[in-house]
Amino acid sequence: MSELKKIGGVIVSHGQVASELVAAAETVVGAQSHLTAVSIGWHDDVEMARNEIERAIRQVSQGNGVLLLTDMFGGTPTNISAMFIKDNEVEIVTGVNLPMVIKLALQNKQTTLSEMAKDVEEQGKQSIYRTGKLLEPQKPR
Amino acid sequence: MLSRRVKVINPLGLHARAAASLVRLAGTFQSDIKLVRTDNRVVADAKSILSVLTLAAAKGTELEVKASGDDKKEAIQRIEEIFRKGFGEI
Repeated sequence: MSELKKIGGVIVSHGQVASELVAAAETVVGAQSHLTAVSIGWHDDVEMARNEIERAIRQVSQGNGVLLLTDMFGGTPTNISAMFIKDNEVEIVTGVNLPMVIKLALQNKQTTLSEMAKDVEEQGKQSIYRTGKLLEPQKPR
Repeated sequence: MLSRRVKVINPLGLHARAAASLVRLAGTFQSDIKLVRTDNRVVADAKSILSVLTLAAAKGTELEVKASGDDKKEAIQRIEEIFRKGFGEI
């Protein structure tokens, strides 16, 4: 059996959100060499941020595509990331949350970049609950 | 299919790291393993952490472990044990 080629993942955010998301995911599921974070400072220049994302993509790529997870549609991290979009090589999903990072961390079968992007998007949406009554019966008795 | 009731007894409940250790354990078995909340019948795949977390199983939650496959007996035993030991947190 040939070795599993994972989809690489770069989390891109304003401030330190990206690195903290990766750190949290790694606390839960262990260190992940196919994931990394790029934190874009509020005052960084675009060229610098672009270079950092480019380096991150190269770092995590296993030859099977890289998914960029950004914090907010329309924000600078997303807009700069968008410069790298390329069919079957780089895709973006916005609105990253911890379950999305965990989903991307845990890959146990060969998949394509577009399937992974779709799965991660779904996971992110499904992981949002308005808990209200859902957790009520479990309050400490 | 084998089935056994277990109870979440560690103070933090089936939180992310506890769920991760459960999933790691479940993954060592070939059997198909499901967890079912006895109160609302929400079902989770014991081999998927994101699925296990959807149980939102706080301390005191009762679950049914269901396993089917060649190693179901050992799987059920080991999973019951990890719950009984409170995921090493008590």
